Amino acid sequence: MSPTRPAWRQTVGRIVRQLDYGAGHRWLELDVRPPFATPRPGQFVQIVLPPIASPVLLPRPMSVASVSRSRDALRIGFLYAPVGIGTLALAGLGAGAEVEVLGPLGRGFPLEEPGAPVLIAGGRGVAPLLFAADALAAARRDGRRGRRPVMLFGARDRAHLVGLEDAHRRLVAVRGRLHVCTDDGSLGPKGHVGTLLERVAPGLRGPLVLHACGPHAMLRTVALWALARGVRAWLAMESVMACGTGVCRGCPLPRSEAARAAFDPARTPSLHGNQDWAMCCTEGPVFEAGDLDWERIE
Amino acid sequence: MTVDLSVRIGPLRLKNPVLTASGTFGYGDEYAHVVDVKALGAVITKTVTLEPRAGNPPGRIAETAGGMLNSIGLENVGLERFRAEKLPRLRALGATVVASIGGETPQELVRLLGALDVEDGIAGFEVNFSCPNVAAGGARYWAVPRRLERTLARLRPLTRKALIAKLAPDLTPVADLALACERGGADAVTAVNTFVGMAVDLGQLRSRLGRATGGLSGPAIKPLALARCHEAARAVRIPVIGSGGIMNARDALEFIAVGATAVQVGTATFVHPDAALRVVAGMRAFLAERGVASVAGWRGVLLGPPPRKGHA
Repeated sequence: MSPTRPAWRQTVGRIVRQLDYGAGHRWLELDVRPPFATPRPGQFVQIVLPPIASPVLLPRPMSVASVSRSRDALRIGFLYAPVGIGTLALAGLGAGAEVEVLGPLGRGFPLEEPGAPVLIAGGRGVAPLLFAADALAAARRDGRRGRRPVMLFGARDRAHLVGLEDAHRRLVAVRGRLHVCTDDGSLGPKGHVGTLLERVAPGLRGPLVLHACGPHAMLRTVALWALARGVRAWLAMESVMACGTGVCRGCPLPRSEAARAAFDPARTPSLHGNQDWAMCCTEGPVFEAGDLDWERIE
Repeated sequence: MTVDLSVRIGPLRLKNPVLTASGTFGYGDEYAHVVDVKALGAVITKTVTLEPRAGNPPGRIAETAGGMLNSIGLENVGLERFRAEKLPRLRALGATVVASIGGETPQELVRLLGALDVEDGIAGFEVNFSCPNVAAGGARYWAVPRRLERTLARLRPLTRKALIAKLAPDLTPVADLALACERGGADAVTAVNTFVGMAVDLGQLRSRLGRATGGLSGPAIKPLALARCHEAARAVRIPVIGSGGIMNARDALEFIAVGATAVQVGTATFVHPDAALRVVAGMRAFLAERGVASVAGWRGVLLGPPPRKGHA
């Protein structure tokens, strides 16, 4: 395979705002300047905190939740939960603080695929799907082809449907439908998003294309549902990472038997994985359901 | 003032003493769109083995206080693909390339070196005698001075290019390993590879790595690595390449002050892909500010008595 130059760059990002976003989550916006390329839904960036503020060594991989233009800068939004010392330190930075941003990284959702898009979100996994809804709305505004999306959004309770209003606004803008569910029944039907998918899917005009992000257990449910029905499904995976660029080989996910059999080293860039392992950072983070071995994914 | 950063490693003259550590810079071209690889002292490639290796199961990375554990397991494309696909790209980049080679037996290293020595575009070899993450042919197997000496004595006649041995820090005194490499004919030793370490996930009550242990790198190991580098530099007359937790020029200059001729930048590259170039620039500025005309004039200023010949 001919070598393709990576498009990512590392540059300074200036924090524009950072807000509470409900249930302990944060909404972060920062500006980056060219030659930083415009991220696509499902792609991620690596954020390095300023040394004085950083209790950690490695960059933090962060999924992109929105992109807009602001004069000559690119404004990138993130929805995240401060759960470790790195993200807690990030949560403490206010407007004007500078971080380093490396990206955009990885492969995003193939939103241009023909079919009716179904966006499936679990908890804060809604982040790249908010961005996907924006992209689908923009495509329809521009008169490009595209079906109206449906979003299925589940979380443990009403409070953890983070960004529910933003999701709703986006789906209204694109004249799509939003269905929610919660584990405790505090909003929408009681149950997880897999059950919601079973309930909603028969009423949708196919063929469907699923785009999902959330905990791996949820993604496994969605992937196996889709595989059993011959529905195309794209899942945004997570992994611990060091470099985020394919160099360190730190984020392998197991390939399915079919993907192993079809693997052709001559057509696979070495920054991607090998016959056994797919690198989450370069081949993903968005994978097609049939490409991974869901029984071996934790 | 202009500072002369050039150094000599056996037959190899490097424009500066900053090298990329094996396994942290891919095969040399992955960062080429953001790093001028020609401006580095040398690029040391990811360790290549005779056959491709798929690497270890996840987790392969665990961050710890000031460091990171890795358990990659020498994943690499293997000799054939390295030769057919990687070397042509490396030649096109114009970098000084040191190929890292790894084997489970002396015979495997003999075959690798024989196959690669005839290739254009390789300035030297670093033999990875110190991978902590493989079941066979890893650090434990090679941390035996007589085995190192005999193996290097077999490799030496196969190449006139620079032959460097990368040493494990935590199994055998580094001075003993370095002396064995010198006797075997190595042009230099690298001190050191990662330290064996472990991290536990208390929630799931298991190792945070797929294998129980991994190799620790990053700032956490710098004082340990510096002491090993100092120990090696006092023991041998061949150049020592310092490695372990170097994040910036000041770290690099500490290694050179205790006797290193050159240094490797590794984990820092995962944070800043151009980290090695930042080290070159910072080193030049530091030495200029101090009025030190050449990096050779900084080398070994803290090596301590007894002063040895060969360390200016």
